[in-house]
Amino acid sequence: MSTRVRLAVLQAAAPLLAIAFGAVVASGIILAIGKDPLEVYGLMLRFNLTRSDSVAAILLKATPLTFAGLAVALSFRANLWNIGVEGQYAVGAFAAAYVAFGVRGLPAAIHLPLAVLTGVAGGALWALLPIVLKLRRGAHEVITSIMMNYIAAALVLYLLADVFRDPTQAGTPRVRTPLFEDSARIPLLRPVLQLVGIGIPEHSALNWFLPLGLVLCLAAAYLLARTRFGYEVRAVALNPDAAEAAGIRIARTQFYMFLASGAVAGLVGLSDVLGFFGYFDIDFPKGLGFLGISVALLARNDPLGVVPAALLFGFLDRGAQGVQVFSGVPREVITILQAVIILAIVVGYELVTRYVRAQRKREAERAVAGPSDATVGEGG
Amino acid sequence: MELLAALLNVALLASAVRLTVPILLTALGAVYSERGGVVNIGLEGIMIMGTFFGASVTHLVATILPVHGSEAGATHAIAPVAGMLAAMAAGVLFSLVHAVVAVTFRVNQIISGVVLNLLAVGLARFLNILFFGVATQSPGINGFEPWSVPVLRDVPALAPLATGISPVIPSALVLLGLGHWVLLRTVFGLRLRAVGEHPLAADTLGINVTVMRYAGVLISGALAGLAGGYLSIEQGRGYLEGMTQGRGFIALAAMIFGNWWPVGALGASALFGYFDALSLRVVHTRIPYQFITVLPHIATIFVLAGFMRRAVPPAADGIPYTKEEA
Repeated sequence: MSTRVRLAVLQAAAPLLAIAFGAVVASGIILAIGKDPLEVYGLMLRFNLTRSDSVAAILLKATPLTFAGLAVALSFRANLWNIGVEGQYAVGAFAAAYVAFGVRGLPAAIHLPLAVLTGVAGGALWALLPIVLKLRRGAHEVITSIMMNYIAAALVLYLLADVFRDPTQAGTPRVRTPLFEDSARIPLLRPVLQLVGIGIPEHSALNWFLPLGLVLCLAAAYLLARTRFGYEVRAVALNPDAAEAAGIRIARTQFYMFLASGAVAGLVGLSDVLGFFGYFDIDFPKGLGFLGISVALLARNDPLGVVPAALLFGFLDRGAQGVQVFSGVPREVITILQAVIILAIVVGYELVTRYVRAQRKREAERAVAGPSDATVGEGG
Repeated sequence: MELLAALLNVALLASAVRLTVPILLTALGAVYSERGGVVNIGLEGIMIMGTFFGASVTHLVATILPVHGSEAGATHAIAPVAGMLAAMAAGVLFSLVHAVVAVTFRVNQIISGVVLNLLAVGLARFLNILFFGVATQSPGINGFEPWSVPVLRDVPALAPLATGISPVIPSALVLLGLGHWVLLRTVFGLRLRAVGEHPLAADTLGINVTVMRYAGVLISGALAGLAGGYLSIEQGRGYLEGMTQGRGFIALAAMIFGNWWPVGALGASALFGYFDALSLRVVHTRIPYQFITVLPHIATIFVLAGFMRRAVPPAADGIPYTKEEA
């Protein structure tokens, strides 16, 4: 086996080994609470793969995670730590919701894109302060973006409860905005899937944000791998000094990547809000921004890897529901499993990277030592 | 004038002192960790573990050790002491994960810390379900018998400051003084700082970089765990999900504002503690309460934006040390 093939196999095996390691740790926990891990995993697989509604549910859950993972990955790729996706998507989703219920009488062709773009703008706006303070004042973006998460949560709660609460709900315990206009709802995928002969359950909220997420990941992969800007991003991340010497404006590159990260974050909540609920309420799903960090790490910050990583997390999430209902194992076990997988994966990637570096060094040494050895190394 | 009097209200200051303690303890821990060259974003998660284990062990010990009439005073303290120790032990164990992943395996320290925070949230919920049947809160518990200062407690104007003092508050000040002394005046402190400034030079002198960095991280875990225990045992009288409210991150900002030194961290923590107290007190104003609750977070951003420039982090802070490649 040539070195290159061996390395490729190693890199592909790392995530699988990490998942296996996570499963072993989770098994320990499941055993500790007196359940049979194999039975639980079997139940999870059966629940996820044999029920017709499960596949749709996994894809629906993977939709926001795709955007969240991509948002985080974009910033990590530029050596920036956007831990603020959580706040950015809350602001983005509320901004989109405002357009969806506040603007009336527009055709869907204008209203929906307007709502989506407002969400994007909201996310980018919430990312603006951390990156400006980092580049101008040297304030570390990890802490400022985390603080922005808390401020976003308070702001959204205020706007929801005190300013835009649906007046018809006054006196009830429900705290939500007025219902959205139909023209701002994201169309469901079901009619199209039925045309091509794929049946999904009638109540499934699977919508056009799923393909949009795929397209966005493809576009980001293309941007990073094949364009001049993508080259600049990679240069800034790998070697800032060399990038600067090559005339790349580091601050400008980082600024755009962080804003792009925030803009994508603005899309995270829309599949739920505009595609499913049709209003913004106090139980709006939280924590997707932090899950996005896990998805990005699992994907090694590769936009193309974000899609399978989001699917895996959607799979685990759906499985957690089944396991909780049918075997009484708390779904939090799966949260722990996810975190352990991520810890194992970052260690695994680190070990592989180190191994690759050592291999390259050895090859380089061999090449220097003698030309005959080098040919053997390349051919063998 | 009226506003000034309100801002310097004794009750408010007393509350500020109480809220300074968790931030101070955690910031002090962060100083140990970062002086040794390891950034610990996971302090928030470590605090969460401290809040959970502090409250649940206190509850557990209190249930198996029923208090009997006359000896109530002495036995009363056993449960919270056990809780505090459990919180510290949980903090040490949890920070061990960060040490293994970030120091031994040299994974990016920010990533390791962030994942630690995610793990803490899931773990606390899971364990809480296991122990108490619900995900988000523990039963109520009793903390320490509060202390009061003789003489001063009889002065009505000073009563809020001189009474109801948790023993953890003076302990935190002792730990602060100890930290100052350890870092500046002991061989251990010198070595810890050496591996944070120039690990290669320290290594050449025979200092075990890995061991020192482990020590820094584990001490930060103990202190952040204690801070969590204080929050749940003394402040909250029980565990409640999310009760740390980002104080682990605020403590990091306090450490930066304090220029990576214990005494500096005290000043910064006091500032944040004051804003924290303000956010609890000024609920009844015309300003919506949601904006008041985020005062400490806004203050954190201001502080980081305004004062980062003159701060000097340890030279090798955040950079994994690789022996074989050096």
